[in-house]
Amino acid sequence: MKPFTYVVPKTLAEAAEAGKQANTLLKGAGIDLVDRMKERLQTPERVVNLLPLKDDLAGVAVDANGELRIGALTTLTQLEQHQALAAPELAALRASAAMTATPHVRNRATVAGNILQFTRCWYVRSEAFHCLHGGRGPTCLAMTGENRFHAVLGWQDCVRVHPSNLAPPLLALDAEYSTLLDGKTRRRKLSELFPAEPRAQNPEHTLAAGEIVTALHVPKQPANARSAYCESREKQSFDWATTACAVRVVLDGGKFTAADVVLGAVAPNPLPRPKAAALLVGQAPSPALFQKVAAAAFADASPLAHNDYKLVVGKAIVVQALEEATR
Amino acid sequence: MTSPSQPRDGVEITMGYRALPGQQEDRLEKRTVQPAAGDAPPWDANTTFAVVGRDLDRVDGLAKASGRAKYAYDMTFPGLLQAMILRSKVARGKLTGLELDEARRMPGIAAVVALKEIGAKVRFVGDGIAAVAGTNVHLVRDAIEKIRADYEIEEHNVDYLVAENAPLLAGDGQIDEPWPEKDAADVEAALAKAAIQHTATYRVEVQTHSSLETHGGVAKWNGNELDLWLSTQATFGCRGELMRALQGKGIDIAALTIHAEFVGGGFGSKISAGVEGLAVCLLAHAAQAPVKLMLDRFEEHTTTGNRPGALMQARAGVDEKGKIVAFDWRSWGHAGFTGSGGVAVPNYYTGDAKVRRDHKDLNCDTDPPRPMRAPGYPQGWFGAELFLDELATKAGIDPLTFRLQNDREQIRQDQWRFAAQRFGWEQGRARQNAANARVLWGVGLSSARWGNLGNPGRPPHGITCRIHQDGSVETRSGAQDIGVGLKTVMAMLTAEELGIDVKLVKATTGHTSDPSGPASGGSTVTPSLSPATRHAAFLGKQQLVELVAKHLGVPVADVDCKGGSVGTTKARLPWAEACKLIGPNPIDVRGQRFANYDGRPFHGSQCGVQMAEVAIDTTTGFVRVTRMFGIQDCGLVIAKKLAESQVLGAMIQGVSYALHEQRIMDKRSGRMLNGDFLRYKITGSQDLPELECHMHSLANGHDSVGAAGLGEPPSVASAAAIANAVFHALGTPVRHLPITPDKVLQALASRKG
Repeated sequence: MKPFTYVVPKTLAEAAEAGKQANTLLKGAGIDLVDRMKERLQTPERVVNLLPLKDDLAGVAVDANGELRIGALTTLTQLEQHQALAAPELAALRASAAMTATPHVRNRATVAGNILQFTRCWYVRSEAFHCLHGGRGPTCLAMTGENRFHAVLGWQDCVRVHPSNLAPPLLALDAEYSTLLDGKTRRRKLSELFPAEPRAQNPEHTLAAGEIVTALHVPKQPANARSAYCESREKQSFDWATTACAVRVVLDGGKFTAADVVLGAVAPNPLPRPKAAALLVGQAPSPALFQKVAAAAFADASPLAHNDYKLVVGKAIVVQALEEATR
Repeated sequence: MTSPSQPRDGVEITMGYRALPGQQEDRLEKRTVQPAAGDAPPWDANTTFAVVGRDLDRVDGLAKASGRAKYAYDMTFPGLLQAMILRSKVARGKLTGLELDEARRMPGIAAVVALKEIGAKVRFVGDGIAAVAGTNVHLVRDAIEKIRADYEIEEHNVDYLVAENAPLLAGDGQIDEPWPEKDAADVEAALAKAAIQHTATYRVEVQTHSSLETHGGVAKWNGNELDLWLSTQATFGCRGELMRALQGKGIDIAALTIHAEFVGGGFGSKISAGVEGLAVCLLAHAAQAPVKLMLDRFEEHTTTGNRPGALMQARAGVDEKGKIVAFDWRSWGHAGFTGSGGVAVPNYYTGDAKVRRDHKDLNCDTDPPRPMRAPGYPQGWFGAELFLDELATKAGIDPLTFRLQNDREQIRQDQWRFAAQRFGWEQGRARQNAANARVLWGVGLSSARWGNLGNPGRPPHGITCRIHQDGSVETRSGAQDIGVGLKTVMAMLTAEELGIDVKLVKATTGHTSDPSGPASGGSTVTPSLSPATRHAAFLGKQQLVELVAKHLGVPVADVDCKGGSVGTTKARLPWAEACKLIGPNPIDVRGQRFANYDGRPFHGSQCGVQMAEVAIDTTTGFVRVTRMFGIQDCGLVIAKKLAESQVLGAMIQGVSYALHEQRIMDKRSGRMLNGDFLRYKITGSQDLPELECHMHSLANGHDSVGAAGLGEPPSVASAAAIANAVFHALGTPVRHLPITPDKVLQALASRKG
């Protein structure tokens, strides 16, 4: 680790002020950031620790309108165990929080930290490689190298995948996020947190320097809404998803009246698949329909040399999620 | 001194084992053995034990669990310096320049040493170039970044399958090259006559040892004497290696003591002190201060050896009765830049068949292999046992029946039947998977063998036994316990021989100031040191018996030591009272490892059988191992709980080898991509099947104890049994480890196609 100044703010305003300074990183639990700093992949001059703001920024609450507010520093364990998440329409969120990493990690890792994760690409994450990500080199090394865990969809010049488990269900549930920047609070659709063009030079998120995510908001779900989250892995725990899918559906009179399908771990962004989801609307659940939706979710896939298995697995995971949501 | 229990014409012993549970026949043989003069009389199948074979806890378990056990990694001293190694980022070339001065001038840096001379070859990414010691790792890393190393870079290759002399592979991964002509006539004639023939190609990927404690040590000089706390599985080997190397550098060294009282695993990778072992001694010498150098996880994965990858091909035939008549085998090993990627295959199925075997090592620019739990066996057994299941299936024979028809070992014949019954083999095979089932179930099996009955050492290995006036007993070996249980074995054997509670015995291992023992390699430590431990206790007992006989005024021959007291049938002293006769100087004796008895032991090798059950999700290709059963012989089972732990641990490692572990290399840079524990996947607790094992204790009659080790034997079968279960479930084999979801989906697609 390189020496750095460690800022321990007393207030959110203080944190926001410190966070605006050049070469400064905000730290939640630090699960990944500390590792990257140890490996000197990141050498900030200043690190602002947000954890002292837990009193303000952690916790789950349901307001009078039935909207769920999840503080940015809420741990995955707190989220998973909150009684509000027992609701069947939030099952996707609960499942994704429950299957992330291990209990040790979940007891520490924060909701915002999970969503704002840095890529796990093994080329990007090694000081020995100079790839296009972050402008360190001329090309994406994974595109033509070892890419069994890389993107099959929605990639342009960089085939990294977005590693967040929580982002797909939150997107499927139509979540929003609040931030603080220059003393102003802003609330936007969660999809705006991810770059519209997930290119190599773009970070994994659209936050401005010093902008702090303060909360996630999950609106009250429509009546009869159900959700589910499934992911494929190579191990049963403590493994990164190879594909993931969150779905939210509304069933009325035996037919879908609304549906959302969001893929994870297959593209540089968590990836909503509205065309695939639209196939559900007006139809009754059936295995054939689910297969059709799954195929549509991967319709425009462009797999790389070592990851076309993700298409087969990913489709199976979409079907699984739909089955679970309609069970 | 000759024991009265050793008549000149030898001792008759009963070797073998009583019928396994549920079986009828005892397998016992009588034989006369000639123990060496002064050795303890042999134990045999009729010996009744007070301590040996019991389910006792690991004697150092609490010390380890509570953190009191100090590993090399834990050692610290006032003024301890930290150190790191500069590693080559070049896979192949020559070192043409090395500028260390700037690093030397960096703040907090106490010593910088070159590990390679200018002009020396650089052999792989991670090759050691220079080492730096300083006040903390951050400053050391700063200094490492200031070292300028220049290379003349040569073209590299890290893929052994495209190395020179690698065989041609067809698009489907099968070897597409004629079999060699040398010695072909017999095997080809036998193949031509066979009723059923089969040919197939198998592949395994590189597995790293992944010991929890990385390689390295803490070195502390006192004048020209050096103490080194080293994470090693060969204390004496490393002492010799480092003495030679330090003297070769012109360093004045009068004494070198290695300390490895606790070692966090090795699996075969810690037999040499390595670059890091020498570097820490050199840095401590240059800095004139104690230095700690432990590798990080990436270095551990990339520079400390591995279980090599291999490509294997078999062709064989059976006659109408299902007897193997020809077995032709060839393999190519991933040998790194030097070393051996050898592969072994079972030889007990092919007794009367025409057999041919061929192996070639293929070199490329990677860290070379090191031994890893049964070097060459898990690779070859995976290939051969899966091949045999494919052959049996082609011939319409159940895999178990096929083994029973061809396995010439009596012990394993009993084990096959026992395991089949305990595991539910027939039910497992009979279970039908519905045609459209999402989850497919299957069961598979594999045999195992290993052959090591210890070595006496030259000069012979020894053990110190001390019996103190306060009743406490020490048993000491300079050999290392790398976590598997040597201390517990020594304590139990000593307690057995002295007839006392294990709690009175303190076992100490790993300091080269104590008597010599072998490296932890080849499952040699238990068979080599158990008779020496017993001999030491036996000698100590004789001295105590003499004191007690004198005290009681009875003949020495009438006095024994058992049940916690010493004396005759009429007059006995409790152990504590007897020990008071010793006086301030303890009884201090050195037991010796005598040569194994002349003549044939009950069995020259160790036998085992494992069975596995899998459930495969056909939509995702995910394989879950749901149940495993293993039966394993290791001669006399001394510490039952620890023996089982060795077998179960090997099965877990086997699940990991079968399903998860593989080194993934970037071909362009020659660098490992998954050199961590995130992407280098190791089986976790959620992935574990229900595991059960049965220790098959037998009296082997090769020395006074008759034990064998368990480092290798249980490691041989697991991956093969799992691969066979996958074959059973899918109806088509996955011939390439690890069996990851992508390969399962490929197999399923080929089945449909």
